[in-house]
Amino acid sequence: MEVVLITLSAALAIGIPALATSWAQSRIGPAISASLAEKPELSTTAILLVAIPETMVILGFVVAVLIMLRAGG
Amino acid sequence: MIIPMTRARLLGPRDRLDDVLAAVQDAGLVHLAEPVPIGGLRPLEMSPHEERESRHLRGLVRDLESVTALLPAARTSPAGAPAFAAWARQARRLRREVDRLDARTREIEEERSQLARFEQFIHAFRGLLPAGNGARTHSYHLVLRGEDEEAVSRLREGLAKVIGDQFMLETASLPTGERAAALVVHAPDAPRVERLLAQAGIHELPMPARYAGRTLGEVAPELAERRKGLDRELEGLAVRRREVVGAAAPELQRARPAVEDRLLALAARERAATTARSFVLEGWVPTAGFGRLGRQLRDRFGESVVIEAVAQEEWQGSNAPVVLTNPRLFRPFEAVTRMMPLPAYGSIDPTPFVAVFFPMFFGLILGDFGYGAVLAGLALWLRRRGAPGSTLRAVAEILGACAAFTVAFGIGFGECFGDLGRRVLGIRPLLFDREESLMPFLGLAVAIGVVHISLGLVLGIVNTARGHPRQAVGRGAALAMLAFIVVALLAAFDVLPGSFFTPAVVALLLAFPVLVVAEGIIAPIEFLSTLSNVLSYARIMALGTASVMMAVVANRLAGSVGSVLVGVLFGLLFHLVNFALGIFAPTIHGLRLHYVEFFGKFYSPGGQEYRPFSHWRHSGIKAA
Repeated sequence: MEVVLITLSAALAIGIPALATSWAQSRIGPAISASLAEKPELSTTAILLVAIPETMVILGFVVAVLIMLRAGG
Repeated sequence: MIIPMTRARLLGPRDRLDDVLAAVQDAGLVHLAEPVPIGGLRPLEMSPHEERESRHLRGLVRDLESVTALLPAARTSPAGAPAFAAWARQARRLRREVDRLDARTREIEEERSQLARFEQFIHAFRGLLPAGNGARTHSYHLVLRGEDEEAVSRLREGLAKVIGDQFMLETASLPTGERAAALVVHAPDAPRVERLLAQAGIHELPMPARYAGRTLGEVAPELAERRKGLDRELEGLAVRRREVVGAAAPELQRARPAVEDRLLALAARERAATTARSFVLEGWVPTAGFGRLGRQLRDRFGESVVIEAVAQEEWQGSNAPVVLTNPRLFRPFEAVTRMMPLPAYGSIDPTPFVAVFFPMFFGLILGDFGYGAVLAGLALWLRRRGAPGSTLRAVAEILGACAAFTVAFGIGFGECFGDLGRRVLGIRPLLFDREESLMPFLGLAVAIGVVHISLGLVLGIVNTARGHPRQAVGRGAALAMLAFIVVALLAAFDVLPGSFFTPAVVALLLAFPVLVVAEGIIAPIEFLSTLSNVLSYARIMALGTASVMMAVVANRLAGSVGSVLVGVLFGLLFHLVNFALGIFAPTIHGLRLHYVEFFGKFYSPGGQEYRPFSHWRHSGIKAA
């Protein structure tokens, strides 16, 4: 049971931020694509805006790893 | 670094202004500034004649651009004096001819596409096309939107209501997804049927003008012949265009630099401030080139023209143009810096730091000897394809540096195409095994974050120390607090002696009010964002682990397939995907770590690009 809970916690730790990231990127992607069509010089901003939400899933991954290593032994 | 600039002031007799401007243009060193109204000096405005000339020359440039766009750039200008009027006449004549040919080409292409649509229709109705409108019948060729049969049924029902069963309706699908319909009715019923079609919004296939009043059945045999004729005419037009442009364009191409130079000179005159007898020009010159410019002007004009350096107190550094100059090894990374607005004059050029940390982050994430070797090959190939100074060459050289770090960290992590090197060649990690040692890798990533952010804060202190000492103190306090937190954490986790913990916490509490006093009440929130910036470097570990795991999975999957050949192919495909991701992800995240986390601590954008007044085509930045 404990193993199941640890695994589930780790999965949630990465899964929920992954959903949040994908939702954020799904909103940013079309908006920045439209902006780029009109102002190609915004490409740097585009890179940043797309990469910024990925922090959530990356930190989620780190937390998941910590859960697996610390709690999972 | 950002090269130092000198604000130069040129003074001379007004009747020598054009000669001095020509000399300055030849030198190609001066970024002309807006005229400064001093005493009785007034900005020099264009005369009506010059305005007219400028307008004509701009028109000539447009003509030249349109007619020579398809030809390669010329390298030399024609000998002798510029013949602007003759070039303008020639360019206008040529442009009109090219416009006429292009207009005719567009007409033909439009007719061809219309014919192609007709042919689809005829193909759909082969054998059903009526011979034409007889005295007693009338035929219609209709296009019904939508493929469904409902549109046809609705039409049938409508016709039945209006004229009973006195009609013939045949339909067929078109490749465009629409339905073609041929309708034949008695001539007396035609007005009622046409009213019905108009009300239902059903359109007849529009007939080209040349076939107006005739039916499809009549014109069908002529269409194929017409299309062949149009193809021949198109070919003839293309040949004629090439001949016309080819005959005149080379001379006009050679005229372009002279025209552009004259336009630049006219624009430069407006930067001069004058009195009745004298002129003053101001602009920025790279300090290293100031002496050379002075010598050139003295050789040409003797003592009649004076050049002097304006004291730095008289001009604001933030207005000076910016030229980035870096050692050869770092120069390709200027492309990364230039993706952001240029740094303000007098601030810090981050290129050398980008050149060290960007490939390092890339290497830490990809960290595989095999992938690094492939990347090095790719970089070499791109370098050969890119001309010196081109963006492609810069990208290739950045990739080369990334490949070097990838190979180095690949050796450190003992990875060659994931765990393949370990299993086949017996390679052992020199640093740690990324598959197993997640915590050391996380620690390394965050430690790099601490170093990188601290460096950013130090640069921020240097940047603000002169103009904004209070901000500099605030950043110093933030830096000290970051250091105390690190020490306290290391002491708490027994990396440092436990006795360090209490002094570090006390020092942290003492530094806090300094931060608040120096940067205001918002400073603690900004400090928290600095801490989250440090944690953001955990992405190096996360992406690095994902990269090695993908490679390991590729190897395992390849090994689990029964056939050796299929297994190898499958593994190669998976490694190819991982390699593509392995280039993309570290690039995006490396850039992000620089632009958001690192630059945010010190970068001052707002520099304007150095655009010296020089000859056209030589308007790029010259070595000072």
